[in-house]
Amino acid sequence: MAFQGSEEVEEQLEEPEETLRVSPAEEMPVDGPPAAEEPEPLLLPWDRFSAWLHCICVVGFDLELGQAVEVIYPHHSKLSEKEKTSICYLSFPDSNSGRTYGHFFSHAARDAIHSCCGNGMLVAVATEFLPPHQISRSCLGDTQFCFRFRQAVDRKSSLGCFLDHFDRDAPVCLKRDQGYYYGYVYFRQVRDKTLKRGYFQKSLVLVSKLPYVTFFHSLLKLIAPEYFEKQEPCLEAACNDIDRWPTPSPGKILSLPIMGVVMKLRIPTCYDKPGTSQLVQSAPSDSLVSIVLPTVHEVDLFSCISPLRYCSDFRPYFTIHDSEFKEYTTRTQAPPSVILGVTNPFFAKTLQHWPHIIRIGDMKQTGVYSAYKPFLNKDEDIIKQLQKGVQQKRPSAAQNAILRRYFLELTQSFIIPLERYVASLMPLQKTISPWKSSPQLRPFIQEEFMKTLEKAGPQLTSRLKGDWIGLYRQFLRSPNFDGWFRNRRKEMTQKLEALHLEALCEEDLQLRIQKHTEVETVDLVLKLKEKLTQAEKDLLPVKPGTIGQLQAHIDTIILSLPEDLQGILHKPPSP
Amino acid sequence: MSSLPPVKEDRIICELPLYFTRDAAVHTKDSFNVTVREASQEQKTGSNVAKVIVVGDVAVGKTCLINRFCKDTFDRTYKATIGVDFEMERFEVLGVPFNLQLWDTAGQERFRCIASTYYRGAQAIIVVFDLSNYGSLDNAREWLEDAMKDNDPSSVLLFLVGTKKDLSHPDQLAQMEQEAIRLSEEIRAEYWAVSALSGESVRDFFLRVASLTFEANVLSDLERNNSRQARDIISK
Repeated sequence: MAFQGSEEVEEQLEEPEETLRVSPAEEMPVDGPPAAEEPEPLLLPWDRFSAWLHCICVVGFDLELGQAVEVIYPHHSKLSEKEKTSICYLSFPDSNSGRTYGHFFSHAARDAIHSCCGNGMLVAVATEFLPPHQISRSCLGDTQFCFRFRQAVDRKSSLGCFLDHFDRDAPVCLKRDQGYYYGYVYFRQVRDKTLKRGYFQKSLVLVSKLPYVTFFHSLLKLIAPEYFEKQEPCLEAACNDIDRWPTPSPGKILSLPIMGVVMKLRIPTCYDKPGTSQLVQSAPSDSLVSIVLPTVHEVDLFSCISPLRYCSDFRPYFTIHDSEFKEYTTRTQAPPSVILGVTNPFFAKTLQHWPHIIRIGDMKQTGVYSAYKPFLNKDEDIIKQLQKGVQQKRPSAAQNAILRRYFLELTQSFIIPLERYVASLMPLQKTISPWKSSPQLRPFIQEEFMKTLEKAGPQLTSRLKGDWIGLYRQFLRSPNFDGWFRNRRKEMTQKLEALHLEALCEEDLQLRIQKHTEVETVDLVLKLKEKLTQAEKDLLPVKPGTIGQLQAHIDTIILSLPEDLQGILHKPPSP
Repeated sequence: MSSLPPVKEDRIICELPLYFTRDAAVHTKDSFNVTVREASQEQKTGSNVAKVIVVGDVAVGKTCLINRFCKDTFDRTYKATIGVDFEMERFEVLGVPFNLQLWDTAGQERFRCIASTYYRGAQAIIVVFDLSNYGSLDNAREWLEDAMKDNDPSSVLLFLVGTKKDLSHPDQLAQMEQEAIRLSEEIRAEYWAVSALSGESVRDFFLRVASLTFEANVLSDLERNNSRQARDIISK
């Protein structure tokens, strides 16, 4: 949906619901986000598809030409040459030994991510040694993995605003990735004597901005085998199926028909109780829903610093052909702030000077090698608890949950003082005047914050001892803090704007204009209109009804003006 | 989870809707099976959804048929279906909520190869032909054979539906119907003639599909449970 001008926005929002394209799949709201049910805007063909995927690519291997993108679906999707090259190289297993390598996590790795400011982390997977459960379960010769690559050009999507809307309710680790794409790969390699090389090698790649790893891998498992058997019409049909899906709104149970089955999905929201996963219950009524996904996102490294968001670059799968290969591997500078997942042994050698390396697969070398010196002391209690779990043969899912909850509480203890300090930067309510521009946030002053730690530091909620001050200093220099603070500042600024708007609403505007000249009244109307447009565009967190009330105020003022002015003011601003 | 809005009044089925013609019906009983009625009363029915696929030649009116029933609309302009369309329709049969998943497949030749992907696990197959086009009836048999390749013939209900009744000349209609009924008997399908333009028999037809798939679903669930119990008794 193109948000070109306020006129269009209003018109489309006023469209009666019956004329909207009715979703073929049920959308059942569940208890979750407090947001009121908002009508879905008018969607054009391919808008629904674009809300899920950028495109689907087929990457083939030609003996003469090497890798090439053979097909892009839908045909109108745009990829730059550079993006195509990235997709080509990243869609094939490196060093010809690729297998799905699962995500994993460890205590030290978490600390390393926390401090990953200005130094890199390498996750080296020796694929030949992977335990059987991590090897793709599909038939031999099929491999699934995912990669992430930079978006070459900033495509201004007309859907942008509309999609941001969903992101608001998504947890940090499931937000749309700005500036990057994910590639979800289904690679097939089978013997074929009719081919020159004796092998058929092809990848089907879903390109998306959504980090729903588990979900897209399940989707690929349905589409890819059919595609390899039945070719292009299958892709056309799959894209058409996807273009009928409800949009990816967190918190709703989404029914997604695809290839003759219905997938059921619930995207978690940021309002979900931490540490719980609201599973989609498989009721008897779902007997035909072949896939019920409990989560969209695999257990991964980043969720263990939740509710913080990892804000640097990361590449689940990185190869020597990557367009950022030089940028990230040049030895002349300090290791970049990035996490790379690699399978090619070349990296383990070349980047052995990197401060954090996790080796997986090879039993002799498996482990976390980190130059990171922890600021906080070891927590013997949690270690004992986990060890006890090992002795009692507690299921690994339970162990995982215990560790995760522990990390979450620890990070919350760390974050609370920051939250408290940042909240104090908010101007007092009484300084908000409807007739002055909204007041500014006070700046974040590191030393001022540090002083608050003496009385209201993490010791209030955590018994863990250590150099908390040092940890804060380190954190305040990291991109993760920067990302966190930017986000908080944006939220607070919007809150201020919202309060300002509400204050305006409560004012007796009628009385006010009586004291002013016509020119001033016109000026007021224009300013109010602009504020209203901005509020709608930014989805300001105003009390329900505020927008409508303000609109009514504006209309009344306009009606009190001479007729010729009324005509002009009622006209929506030209784009 | 919040509850869904109530089922629309015209989707509530209390009595078994009748067949179109006695000559070609799944069965000719005039009420629901007794065990099914009892199970419904005691709320002991199992799965409450059925997958229905709609197949047939290009432009015979598969999408129009579904749109007439699901949305009560009729669009005169032809728009080819790409791949497969999907509609979910909610019913209440004998007081039990019941859903039909309607998979509307493309009639175009180039999509024929992928159709089998969509056929799997269907409880009912609706083969559609055009009452004003002989060729489409000839091809109905082929569509059916294709669809049956991926399904168990003993557990799938078949419907042969002639569309565009309003376009068919009375003489032609009589002759077409005769042949269609002959084919239905042969492939053990239930025959219906409808018009999506006027809406004639469309709702009756889908209510019949919902009722028969519901009945079959409940019976097969009961059978499965009984055999499980029998096994349990034997193993005890």
